[in-house]
Amino acid sequence: MNKFQRFLHHLFVPSYRNNYKSKALHTDFLAYYLIFALLLMITVKNIRSNYPNVLGFATDITSNKLLELTNNERTKANLNPLILNNNLTEAAEKKAKDMFNKNYWSHFGPNGETPWDFILGTGYQYEYAGENLAKNFLFSQGVVDAWMKSPTHRENLLRKEYANIGFAVVNGVLNGEETTLIVQMFGTPTTGLNQSLNQKINPLTQNKNDSITLSGNDMQNILGNSEKRSVINIFSFSIEATYFFLIFFALVLMIDFVIASKLHIIRISGKNIAHLVFIGFILIAIVFILKVGAIL
Amino acid sequence: MNHFFHHSLKELKKHTYDYLLLFTTGIFFIIFLKLFQGDRFYTFITVLIFVFSYIIWGIFHHAKTRTLHIKNVVEYILIGFTILFLLQILLNY
Repeated sequence: MNKFQRFLHHLFVPSYRNNYKSKALHTDFLAYYLIFALLLMITVKNIRSNYPNVLGFATDITSNKLLELTNNERTKANLNPLILNNNLTEAAEKKAKDMFNKNYWSHFGPNGETPWDFILGTGYQYEYAGENLAKNFLFSQGVVDAWMKSPTHRENLLRKEYANIGFAVVNGVLNGEETTLIVQMFGTPTTGLNQSLNQKINPLTQNKNDSITLSGNDMQNILGNSEKRSVINIFSFSIEATYFFLIFFALVLMIDFVIASKLHIIRISGKNIAHLVFIGFILIAIVFILKVGAIL
Repeated sequence: MNHFFHHSLKELKKHTYDYLLLFTTGIFFIIFLKLFQGDRFYTFITVLIFVFSYIIWGIFHHAKTRTLHIKNVVEYILIGFTILFLLQILLNY
């Protein structure tokens, strides 16, 4: 047995060398796990308070991922992929900021602001327009999945008339709670020929798309935010670290339990089965904790 | 794997009521998580109560089987709080 194998044996297999209990389950190792978890928690908390506006930090959501997933859904439905539009992105960003500034979570603002005001405000003249909203999701996939599950949002996302799209993913405080808002805005620009007609069509288009809202940043912002996200992706790291720890710990408990039972080892120790039951419920809990988003 | 299930069943049968209590606590924990889904504060309280229930269960079980020792209690506390800190990171998002 070489040095590395001996180390692994010492770490995982109960024997006389580790007092008949896997070293990875000894009190000193359990204390190391606790210190690691505590340090990770403090680090994440500090980064969050020092860089509250780093997009994609609070969640793992990015505009380009949302675009990719949205277009995937459209392609599956044999529809044209949407092209990211700077004006719609700007409109989405303004809408998200307006919700934070005026503290509302709705398609329509407290002073009667409509999604269409934000779109027209950027100079984007539309024939069709729509908006989807989401908040407090952790992953881009979760957002698009939630929209696809809702008939009205799905209809909006898969509307064949749309040609352009814009997204905004903005962090802020809404109703006293740290929130990540996602605004998705769809549009079809008017052509030169029907420019005058569009003004008449607008109210009808607005009614059609009542349930849809969009958000976005301009292209440069999206790229910039994506870069920041890839540098400071502590959120993904903390989720992966949690899963890794739970699976690692469960495996060690199982190995230790099987060998200790086979060898009929009697020792002063906690019950591995109880720890495994506890970890099992915690793994189920993580699924509920990670599903926190809402759509509108 | 067979050995694991065989010995697990043996252990569960030996202390059926104790493990039933632990499973019941876990089921209530999941029900309350579902009820408070989206509310970070109440979710945290639910997790905290479950962690303390697990530690208390450990003390109760070892006291009942006359194997209670400070090392056991420390083991349950260290595991419980490690999990609590890790979940606290996820709850902050």
